[in-house]
Amino acid sequence: MKLLTLYNRVNIITTVVVMVITGIIYYQAISWILNDQNDKALKVEEDEVFDYVKLNHQLPQVFESKDQQITFSEAKPNSITREFINTDYRRDKNEYESGRGLISSITVNGKYYKILIVESKVETEDLIQIIFGITIGVILLLMLVLLIANRLILNRLWQPFYSILREIKLFNITDSREIPQTTTRITEFVELNQAAAAMTTKAKYDYKELKTFTENASHELLTPIAVINSKLDTLIQSENFNDRQSKLLNDLYSAVARLSRLNQSLLLLVKIENRLLTDQQNINLRLLIEEMVLQLEDIFSDKQITVTVELEDKEVLASRYLIEILLSNLVINAVRHNHANGNIIIKLTAHNFFIKNTGDSKPLPDDKIFTRFHKSSNSDGSGLGLTISKQICENFDFSLSYQYQAHYHTFIVTF
Amino acid sequence: MKLLIIEDEEGLRESIEEYFAEAGNICETAATYSAALTKVELYRYDCILLDITLPGGNGISILKKLKENNFTDGVLIISAKNSLDDRLQGLDLGADDYLVKPFHLSELKARVSAIIRRKMYNGSNLLVFNEISIDLQAKTVSVHDTPLKFTRKEFALLIYFIANKGKVVSKNAIAEHLWGDGIDLADNFDFIYSHIKNIRKKLVEAGANDYIQAAYGMGYKFSGQ
Repeated sequence: MKLLTLYNRVNIITTVVVMVITGIIYYQAISWILNDQNDKALKVEEDEVFDYVKLNHQLPQVFESKDQQITFSEAKPNSITREFINTDYRRDKNEYESGRGLISSITVNGKYYKILIVESKVETEDLIQIIFGITIGVILLLMLVLLIANRLILNRLWQPFYSILREIKLFNITDSREIPQTTTRITEFVELNQAAAAMTTKAKYDYKELKTFTENASHELLTPIAVINSKLDTLIQSENFNDRQSKLLNDLYSAVARLSRLNQSLLLLVKIENRLLTDQQNINLRLLIEEMVLQLEDIFSDKQITVTVELEDKEVLASRYLIEILLSNLVINAVRHNHANGNIIIKLTAHNFFIKNTGDSKPLPDDKIFTRFHKSSNSDGSGLGLTISKQICENFDFSLSYQYQAHYHTFIVTF
Repeated sequence: MKLLIIEDEEGLRESIEEYFAEAGNICETAATYSAALTKVELYRYDCILLDITLPGGNGISILKKLKENNFTDGVLIISAKNSLDDRLQGLDLGADDYLVKPFHLSELKARVSAIIRRKMYNGSNLLVFNEISIDLQAKTVSVHDTPLKFTRKEFALLIYFIANKGKVVSKNAIAEHLWGDGIDLADNFDFIYSHIKNIRKKLVEAGANDYIQAAYGMGYKFSGQ
């Protein structure tokens, strides 16, 4: 629910409730005042009757007056209690209006009479109606004004909030864009702006620190790895190793090779993320892929994998170094997760690069495969290949996606 | 040949020195920027192995100094920084090659040999080893003037072996040389063996000596005799 909707809802409900209550109180008060007025008029009439009787010792004559009727009727002595009543006022023979009456009594020449004075309330009610109408009108007008005002004020008032929100949404930890200062005098938004800016700056700083750390750590590791490597190369120059020693040395070689590849992958990842590899040139992907397939021929045949290649001409503007890494990572991936007598299908069109491979007959978790160091339990890769591939694609605004279809794992680069 | 190894890491420097030390080779070393600069100003070398990050300065400055003085020493940059910028800058400034740490000593030797070959036999593309002669330009191999048919990888491997003659070259080093990054796929190096078998067969059938020997299951040795 939008803030404005909620705010309007609360606002209007409150206004209506308060207005209705006010209306009722108002109505009651006016009715009471006007009734009181009526009663006073009735009392004046009653007094006139009393005065007349006192003076003339007879009942006054009854005249038809416009809004008042008096009737006298004989009654049993002391049977009448003086009271005001709501009754009907007869305008014409069959036309009744609401009226207010006063029942009183008087004794004239020993005879006991009931006096009934009735006054029409039509004018009073008209007045109430008018007042009530005006009140309703005011309520409606007020609501309308409130709605419009809320909309205008809120939209304008919350503008800084929305612009800060937009900035936060656009925030990307890897680019250099900062959250700009929003021009607003509202303290809360100024604070929000500052907090968001501080938070993103901190996040960027931490991220940079982490990257620097990764880079430095990988760098520092390079030298000892280089030393181990060279010492191993030197060691095998000495004569006479037995089988067991050879086996140990071979294992050492493999481990060091893996360590150094892992290390290089980490360094590469940092570099791609930092966008340090910015050279761009036109690359003919078809030639590049053909070359790569030729290069890896021995490995395909060693693993008894059949490779089918179907390539159209396609050129991209990108870093040759990174594109080579991207393609070789994907090809290596397809070999690594394949089985003996498996297939790899490589297809290049003007819009996509597909690489399909046979392998485990269940799809990979596509939310995890691109995360660092995620790898299947039987993989001896670094766990960084797909992460690097994804990063490279992002660098050049390509997209890399994964599908599993009919026993084929497919990676698709969309240019 | 006369080499200067400029490398601050002692372990690496010693290994390189030992690997290159053989009859006819003179290896000098420098561990710091100033030591390197002194040597470079005083003596000429066939090839200088140049580390970029040195205590007291940057290897790139040494390279600049060489070029300013028009010294024609071959320069191979060995660096921990696998940055394209460094590589391009180094090559732009006139370095002959660029090798990223960590590397196999056999790979280093192959690269140095290539640099020296280009320097010493100016214009000549012929690499001769006893009865085997290799035309590097045309990529052909012949034994006793009989041309042989070598595949691309066999050719590369033969040159690699000759550059490292007398040394045990590990299977890992061979694999990385021939297949680059793709090689960590290989569970075993059987397919290296098939390449080597082919090379031996072709050479021996053409009347050459069988130079290539397996070395304790770890690698191969191209014996110099």
